[in-house]
Amino acid sequence: MLSINNLHVEVEGKEILKGLNLEVGTGEVHAIMGPNGSGKSTLSYVLAGRDGYEVTQGEILFDGKNLLEMEPEERAWAGIFLALQYPVELPGVNNMNFLRESLNAVRKGRGEQELDAVAFMKLVREKAASVKLDEKLLKRSVNAGFSGGEKKRNEILQMAMLEPRLAILDETDSGLDIDALRIVAEGVNLLRSAERSIIMITHYQRLLDYIEPDFVHVLADGRIIRSGGKELALELEDKGYAWVLEENAA
Amino acid sequence: MKHSASNWITDILQQQDLPPVSDWLSELRRKARDQANQLPLPRRKQEAWRYSRVDALLKQSFTPVVQPPNGSGLEMPQSLSPHVLVFVDGWFNPALSRISDLPQGMVLGSLREHLDDASVKAHLGSLANSGENLFSALNSALINDGLLLKTGTGTEVESPIEVFYLNSQAEQPLLSQPRNLILVEENSKLTLVEHFLPGMGNAYFHNSSTEIHVGEKARFSHYRIQDEATDAWHLSNIHLVQAASSHYHGITLSFGGKWARTEYKTRFAGEQAVCDLRGLYLVGDQQLSDFHLDIHHDQPACHSREQFKGLLHGKGRAVFDGRILVERIAQLTDAQLTNDNLMLTRDAEVDTKPQLEIYADDVKCSHGTTVGQLDPQQLFYLRTRGIEEQQAIHMLCAGFAGEIIEHMHLPHLREQAGERLRRTLDRL
Repeated sequence: MLSINNLHVEVEGKEILKGLNLEVGTGEVHAIMGPNGSGKSTLSYVLAGRDGYEVTQGEILFDGKNLLEMEPEERAWAGIFLALQYPVELPGVNNMNFLRESLNAVRKGRGEQELDAVAFMKLVREKAASVKLDEKLLKRSVNAGFSGGEKKRNEILQMAMLEPRLAILDETDSGLDIDALRIVAEGVNLLRSAERSIIMITHYQRLLDYIEPDFVHVLADGRIIRSGGKELALELEDKGYAWVLEENAA
Repeated sequence: MKHSASNWITDILQQQDLPPVSDWLSELRRKARDQANQLPLPRRKQEAWRYSRVDALLKQSFTPVVQPPNGSGLEMPQSLSPHVLVFVDGWFNPALSRISDLPQGMVLGSLREHLDDASVKAHLGSLANSGENLFSALNSALINDGLLLKTGTGTEVESPIEVFYLNSQAEQPLLSQPRNLILVEENSKLTLVEHFLPGMGNAYFHNSSTEIHVGEKARFSHYRIQDEATDAWHLSNIHLVQAASSHYHGITLSFGGKWARTEYKTRFAGEQAVCDLRGLYLVGDQQLSDFHLDIHHDQPACHSREQFKGLLHGKGRAVFDGRILVERIAQLTDAQLTNDNLMLTRDAEVDTKPQLEIYADDVKCSHGTTVGQLDPQQLFYLRTRGIEEQQAIHMLCAGFAGEIIEHMHLPHLREQAGERLRRTLDRL
């Protein structure tokens, strides 16, 4: 589904990703772990199409298509979803309207019929309940004044509504206590399916206790330096990143 | 023809032949006329006029409308309200208006028809000082008609009253000068909506003056929607005084005109009064919108909130000058003033000047202004959710403006305002 080949990315003239390779198959859950500054967030932003990230070499293919030629909204239509580490607050933009505009834009982009108000309400209620998001938050401005946990749940709600083919969760565990983390993880697990791939980007192993990955990769200094199964995460937890970094240097 | 400074006002004042009124009003007019002849023209050297040039206005000659116009070509505006009042060139037009049954003791209609009422005599000119500047003197010097609204005590009017200020078609630019008096008396509750629209006019000068007295424990919601013609000048002067425990809730939306200025002067006549003042301006090419607030806390324990937001596009210009003065006696004042500007283009320009002058020591006051552009992070976020860039910009602008519009408690006004905003944004 996703194929990243020899990806080099510069931000403000500084090379952050230095030849990254990654293959994600349909229905697979990949965890990308790494120390701070290794390029984890850069990878997620490049996948979503944020300005200011210059690809100097390499390619990203999504279902065989050149992702780098697509606008952020076109990527969303194609089925890419990025859950942000710091969900953006949109004062004055009603959460419910936002979800409706978003869902209908994506449906339109996919050549599907827009949902009418009744069908939309039914869907949003059902999905909000599945991620345990208080319906009151649907009536407020998007993320404005939400707690950390509420913001992350709101991201997962958007993901549930948009039904992406590839979801990228950028540090979804950051800033969450254990209870909030469990709720968010349950929401994500409900969305696991044979047709949907997930990339989890995280610094800590604890998220992986709740969402079990099929593959774990270690990202360091702009490259994936080791890949393995879920047991790799446990080893990292045990020995720290220094261990892989040293082995890699050797 | 180039008009020199004093010619501008003498030309206007000599053109007319005012229909006679009661002695007391003739005297008020005469006094204002003398002041108008003596007052200097507004100049950029004066602080209050530094950023809003009036040169073009003072080069244009205007014809005052001294007889009731026939309103030809105008229709009754669409409104759901049982009380619709239309003023054409400042004159009440009964044919285009409808006033349904009113509560006992309430007066609503043409000021001209009530010039001998004791309460009109007592209040007209009591707040608006015609010596303030040339334009207020001009309004007083030619007082003819305007809105009179007097609730009587303990009157709750459920349906909002909708007032429309329209203009006639004319060869020469007309001067429209409604003179309004609003008395929301003790324990009354009322909503007034004022629409300032072109009607058949294009180049005209709307120079209105409104005096508002809000009585003890009264609640007054006052919505003003300025959407004048593209070649029109608009100046609204609003004077407000609030008695103890009263609540004034005012929102002005400024959309139209090539030069539009709103001046609010408010003060308190008792404790525990609340004044909520909000405004939204939307300006583009060939437009200037100007708000001047003078909030005078001269009583203890009153609360005021001033929130103004501007959306500027093209070469639009805006001025915001908001001043809160807290007198020594006004302990326990709670006053907050904010002005936020969203600049959609590099060529747009805003001059914003919040001022806080505090002489009491136990108060809670703050002010703040921002001038910014659309946040790229917010735009990116919306786009990652499948929303196209143009639509994302609309949503963010509507969200920005929505923080003012949402305070209007009439749904149809919120819809109209949202629609008006969309129309402009769609053209960008």
